[in-house]
Amino acid sequence: MNFRKLLRRNETVLIFAIIVFSLVIGSKSPEFFTIANLFDILRSSFVQLIFALGVLIVIISGGIDVSFPIVGIFAGYTAVVIMRKFELNEESVLVPVALAILIGIILGGLNAIAIAGFEIPTLIATLGTAGIFRGFMLSFIGASFISDIPLGLDNFSTADLIKFESEAGTLVRLHVLVIPVALITLAVSLLLNRTIFGRSVYALGGGVESTRRLGISVKRTQAKIYMLVGGLSGLAGILYVSLQRKANPYDLAGSELDVIAAVVLGGASIMGGYGTVFGTVLGVLFINMIKNNLVLLGVSSSWQRAAVGVLLIIGITIQAIGENQKQKRQRSATSKEAE
Amino acid sequence: MNERLQRFSTAGLLADRKVTQLMGFTTFTLIFFTVFSFNIFFTPENFRSMAYQVPEIAILSIAVMLSMLTGGIDLSIVGISNAAALVAAYIMTQKMTEGGDISTMWIIAACLAGILIGLICGAINSVLIAILNVTPILATLATMTLFNGIAIGITNGVSVSDLPKQFMRVGNGTFLGIPTPFVLMVVIAIFVGYLINRTSLGLKVLLIGTNRKAAQYSVMGDRKVIAWTYIISGLLSSLAGLIIASRTSAASPDFGNSYILLAIVVVVLGGINPMGGFGTVTGVVLATIVLQMVSSGFNALRFSQFFYLLAQGGVLVLVMILNTVLEKRRLNRSINKSLDS
Repeated sequence: MNFRKLLRRNETVLIFAIIVFSLVIGSKSPEFFTIANLFDILRSSFVQLIFALGVLIVIISGGIDVSFPIVGIFAGYTAVVIMRKFELNEESVLVPVALAILIGIILGGLNAIAIAGFEIPTLIATLGTAGIFRGFMLSFIGASFISDIPLGLDNFSTADLIKFESEAGTLVRLHVLVIPVALITLAVSLLLNRTIFGRSVYALGGGVESTRRLGISVKRTQAKIYMLVGGLSGLAGILYVSLQRKANPYDLAGSELDVIAAVVLGGASIMGGYGTVFGTVLGVLFINMIKNNLVLLGVSSSWQRAAVGVLLIIGITIQAIGENQKQKRQRSATSKEAE
Repeated sequence: MNERLQRFSTAGLLADRKVTQLMGFTTFTLIFFTVFSFNIFFTPENFRSMAYQVPEIAILSIAVMLSMLTGGIDLSIVGISNAAALVAAYIMTQKMTEGGDISTMWIIAACLAGILIGLICGAINSVLIAILNVTPILATLATMTLFNGIAIGITNGVSVSDLPKQFMRVGNGTFLGIPTPFVLMVVIAIFVGYLINRTSLGLKVLLIGTNRKAAQYSVMGDRKVIAWTYIISGLLSSLAGLIIASRTSAASPDFGNSYILLAIVVVVLGGINPMGGFGTVTGVVLATIVLQMVSSGFNALRFSQFFYLLAQGGVLVLVMILNTVLEKRRLNRSINKSLDS
């Protein structure tokens, strides 16, 4: 029974899918099974994973946030602008990161006011604030591309943990970010599973009214959630700027779908109440693996978006069918009890 | 029928009040921009250009409105309209001779193919939402990526331009002195208005939006009704796509990405409850006109397009806040009234 349950879990299905895809791609092109490729997939997953952790928390709580990429680039870009304007310590990495997280928390706080304070549906509230933030950034903070970002951030983009030359002569690098990202992932996992706040996020997704009856303040929990997501988005935004070695205010907009797709593929239920950090990590890795290696399969990179769409539809269909069956079972169980 | 609607809830009255408010708002915007930018805003040219730009947004917004009336949402409208426009444009450019001549038959065939694409895309949404029970937000988010992705994949992200002259005449011509797209919009608005207010499908749509559980228990075939809404929404999106293609003489996979936010702003400003249940086509059309005036007015006052984006988001959030605050006050008042009596 337990074994069957384990098989049915989304994470198991995902691991299986990852293995199958790896074998398919690997059999077509041996380039896939190299450490360089693995490190590349990891590097392109860092920013997405941090965004995804934020989105996971929102989705577990039964909401949806489409403003996070805008919050991210707003925070990243504004932090760079502030650094340059006030000529803060060029060498430091921590100052811009702290600035970006702070800006992210403030923007998340504005989301929280709209959602927790005025009870606007989350999708509509975040669509609106995304427009406001993007419009505000481009009309008042700056609309031009900054290529000379502070030295500290610039150097950080090439700070490698492992660096060696492969047999083929290419440089293989693993970015140092892998450690902090792993720590953040662990922290979010602990936060969701081991703290009162984390459990109330799950409770909120299970049902707003029942959460209220439990004596948990719905508004306060929601406010914390959206501020936390803002902070995570700000961090992801500044890391994006650092890894790209440029601050482009037009970037990231429109990337919300890939992240939401990764979280949903990772098994988080869009109705709220269910989702795991492990699933999200797998979802992000899976999507990046597919996106990075479509070319190796002989598919043109312009099909990336369609591939994400197909994956997402397959993922939600599997989830929906499972959900429908569960409901049917519950219904028949209750009717049997009634007899 | 109308009486029945009003009796069954206060929806009729409330919607009417919203339309009255909007009319006041429209007049205010008109006067505001006329005062601040008389020479550029209050000119026949400006009004003509607005009449060409309003229809596409209005039709897309009506498509969103239909899904919102059932308590859902359709985010794939822009994806569908671009896909439909691209297919039609592709057929036209293929069948066009060197000199740019093409028989009217082929133009009609191309448009029909575009509409067919809209219906198919709508049907895919229907299958996901009505049959598989996927949440509308997620389903249409996924299909939006899919339709957009397929369009990018096929065209390699390049737009199809230089469409035949006869086709462009639809989007840029006039009918009895009124811009043709505007006439088309009025026809579509009347059709959808009739659908909502005078047919059983429309009544069922409103009932499902008000209370899905109750609708299920009254065995009205709620899945079928929802399926129809998304198919009609797909149809309307494809029509909007064809109008855009005909006006701009081009079709591109990433045209009008900002229209999703705009359409939702229009619908919410037009007095549609995002939870479903009530709303009027008149409100949506009026809201489109208000926002178009704001956009043209900002242009006349030389504000940037990003400032307009900010204004859109601001209007959306403010209207929602206003709605919830007013709703709460109304609720409190009616509770107090019933307590007093």
